[in-house]
Amino acid sequence: MSRFFSGLRDGVGFDILLVGAALLFLLALAGAPLVYNVLMSFQQVDMFTLGALFRPFVGVDNYVAVVQQPEFWLVTRNTLVFVFGSMAGQFVLGFALALFFAQNFPGASTIRGLFLVSWVMPGLVVGGIWSFILAGDYGVLNVILKALGIIDANVFWKSDPNFSIWAVIIANIWLGLAFNMLLLSVGLAAISRDLYEAAELDGANAFQRFWTITMPMMRPTIGAVLSLGLIGTLQQFDLFPALTEGGPANTSNVAGYWSWQLSFQLYDFAKGATVSVMMFLLVLVASVVYVRSTRHEVRG
Amino acid sequence: MTAQIEMRDIQKHYGSFHALKGISLTIDKGSFVALVGPSGCGKSTLLRSIAGLETITSGTLQIAGKTMTGVPPRHRDIAMVFQSYALYPHMTVEENLTYSLRLHGVGKADARQKAAEVAATTGLTSLLGRYPRQLSGGQRQRVAMGRAIIRNPKAFLFDEPLSNLDASLRVQMRKEIRALHDRLGATSVYVTHDQIEAMTMADWVVVMRDGLIEQQGRPLDLYDKPVNRFVAGFIGSPAMNFLPGHIAETGNAVMLADGAGTLPLDRGLQPGREVIVGVRPEHLDVVGDAATFHLEIGVVESTGSATYLTSPDGNFQLVQSERTSLASGDRIGLRIDPTKIHLFDPQSGIAL
Amino acid sequence: MTRTYTPWILLTVALALAAVYLFPLYWMYVTSLKTGSEMFANPPTFWPNNANFGIYPEVWARRAMPTYLWNSVLIAGGVTAITVVLGTGCAYVLARYRNHWIDVGLFFVLMLQVLPASVMITPLFVGFNQVGLLNYPRTAVVLAAAAKAMPFFVVLVRATFMSVPRELEEAALVDGNSRVGAFFFIVLPLARNGILVCAILTFMSAFGEYIYSKSIIQSPSLQPASVGLSGFLGPNSTDWSSIMAYSAIYVTPILVAFVILQRRIVSGLTSGALK
Repeated sequence: MSRFFSGLRDGVGFDILLVGAALLFLLALAGAPLVYNVLMSFQQVDMFTLGALFRPFVGVDNYVAVVQQPEFWLVTRNTLVFVFGSMAGQFVLGFALALFFAQNFPGASTIRGLFLVSWVMPGLVVGGIWSFILAGDYGVLNVILKALGIIDANVFWKSDPNFSIWAVIIANIWLGLAFNMLLLSVGLAAISRDLYEAAELDGANAFQRFWTITMPMMRPTIGAVLSLGLIGTLQQFDLFPALTEGGPANTSNVAGYWSWQLSFQLYDFAKGATVSVMMFLLVLVASVVYVRSTRHEVRG
Repeated sequence: MTAQIEMRDIQKHYGSFHALKGISLTIDKGSFVALVGPSGCGKSTLLRSIAGLETITSGTLQIAGKTMTGVPPRHRDIAMVFQSYALYPHMTVEENLTYSLRLHGVGKADARQKAAEVAATTGLTSLLGRYPRQLSGGQRQRVAMGRAIIRNPKAFLFDEPLSNLDASLRVQMRKEIRALHDRLGATSVYVTHDQIEAMTMADWVVVMRDGLIEQQGRPLDLYDKPVNRFVAGFIGSPAMNFLPGHIAETGNAVMLADGAGTLPLDRGLQPGREVIVGVRPEHLDVVGDAATFHLEIGVVESTGSATYLTSPDGNFQLVQSERTSLASGDRIGLRIDPTKIHLFDPQSGIAL
Repeated sequence: MTRTYTPWILLTVALALAAVYLFPLYWMYVTSLKTGSEMFANPPTFWPNNANFGIYPEVWARRAMPTYLWNSVLIAGGVTAITVVLGTGCAYVLARYRNHWIDVGLFFVLMLQVLPASVMITPLFVGFNQVGLLNYPRTAVVLAAAAKAMPFFVVLVRATFMSVPRELEEAALVDGNSRVGAFFFIVLPLARNGILVCAILTFMSAFGEYIYSKSIIQSPSLQPASVGLSGFLGPNSTDWSSIMAYSAIYVTPILVAFVILQRRIVSGLTSGALK
């Protein structure tokens, strides 16, 4: 016993205690639910069996039922549009801003830091603000776009089935843009000035320097940023209840929100679990890409 | 002399890597022992094992007669000076110095008194209130030293403590550390990759390679009688020259390969035997007629006090203490005192 | 000649970009002060004609904001406490060693970092229901949100610990500290700033937490401010000045804290986020 305590004070027991407490906590509240989720997706889970320890197994019935839901393919399509639309917007605008703020001028880093407020804002509040900005009749975005001559008539962003998903995408781009920019700025700052000067002496113009120095040197950063963007977008939830609630007629619904609706509005927990298992598979692909792209840094 | 640190057949594995392959070493009380070798030879691992920062896989380690297996560093009563000094950045110099005393329950007034004494001997008195980031490299080095001596430990361990200093400061600190050791009479174990530090500071030098002790002994014994080609090449600067050759028919001379010349020996060996001849650059004399072998000069470098002559292929070097008018392309005759010639077996590298 | 002006032109452009980007925040504050007809005016006014500051005390009282905000603080505080206490030690061990077990642990943490809350909420809800935790809904939300926050915290704080030289800890051991002592008196003080920044970030994101609270907490007296806001926010909302005033009261403390700590937060993120 005294050996046990001296191990805690001086030996590897201390490390095991520190790491073990956290991992047990995560195992109980993240690992176990994940496995439980998969189990539920093969069971019959409704209001009657919710509290039961043993529930009837139904094989792949839940999966069949989910795929046969009329909105399944629409939600799948929306999820992909939402993910890639958001990622593309966040990345392209974030990269452009990062390149701009990489120029040497007074206050560059402070102003860039201000952009990051979007990142600490509660998603629901951001959704609320954008809901007002995107309003069809009195929204300020329509007013600005009309003044610029880009549109002639008001766009009903939230209630027009053709635009509803884009309303959420616009808000999500705003939300994630700053974080993308910050990470890309870090990558840009890590490229040695000497390389640009050497390339300039070798006769490369600004455009050539971007493609032959910046892009190749940024490749690991870009990989990490894109995969983090994918993960962040798949995690996005709060904007949906604030903006469109998935509507109208599911035209802005995505897998994450649909899964929540099935469980907590229709109390069909089995289908909710089934959709979230499907979504988890998508996240798994993203995380493998992410872990691979950070593996280098992780092993340091 | 009593043994202060006694190691018997110490083994250390890191996963599949075998860092220490059976080290047995006795460190006498009050002696200054240098562990020297190329990077990766295991010298730092051995030092850290003495400190208890590494757990040895097998073998026994005793400090002052007590077996240290399972004893954490804080119960070993040893002090260590790290390569980066490892000064606590959030503590002043005084707090750094007295930290170990406070941990051992020494009263505040006593600790301050001790710190003042140590600061006086290490020249830190005016710096006691400063933080490490406000000190120069040499001052930090002194704080690290002071932190070790304030405890009056059973042994001092030094892990390449001078490698972050510039050259002139290093020479000065070398003398100071040695003087301190003599004054305190403490046992010191000093790890370095710089054989000059080892030779100038230590009473006893241990040359290591690949987790094994190649040779140990007094500094000049290592220089005069290296037991193998590795030690011969490692000790001495510039490094010893090695030339292939074989023993002449008479058995008391070496015929150098490629007909470069003949070196008379002071001992007899089996005629015809292949050998590696080792000659130190400083033991060669440039002579006119009495030359036993010849060399073409490639590069002449002079530092003012000495002149370094290097062969065109860069494999052979000699040092002259006089200035010379020799130039690249000249051919010179050389002679060496037969007692200064080292011979090694070509395969095993063992001295003959 | 042109060269000396370039930085100032760039600065002007940067300020313009920041103004465009931060416009939604401005719009939140401005809208909150507008009264009925002005809010729906076309074209809209970019500065309120007669600002109605009375909306703030009114929304504060009518929407029971003290209760909601107190619940938000409780939940965020609980999440931060659990995350810091458990996550710091985990991050330290993952930073200190390098071997197969650590790689496995890191991989596990990274994988959990990517799990969406919407994937986790269904099994968490059913599981909490079975073990009876739904009777303590705020505790349940704290546990769930802490598990969500911890991986990110561990990844960031690990980077902080990596920057504390290992030799300092070893010097402390030789000086007479136990592992426990060296961790608390040497390593933790040196990593304090990084841990603090990450704790603040954790608090901020937990303060805005929505999905777990919405799904698990039924009683309005226990719900946080995010759920309180969702009560009158949706696709067909019309009471915009109240929504914006509520939002402004809700996020202003976060924004102020962010602006004050901006430099530290940004440097804390940049050192850890990509690792």
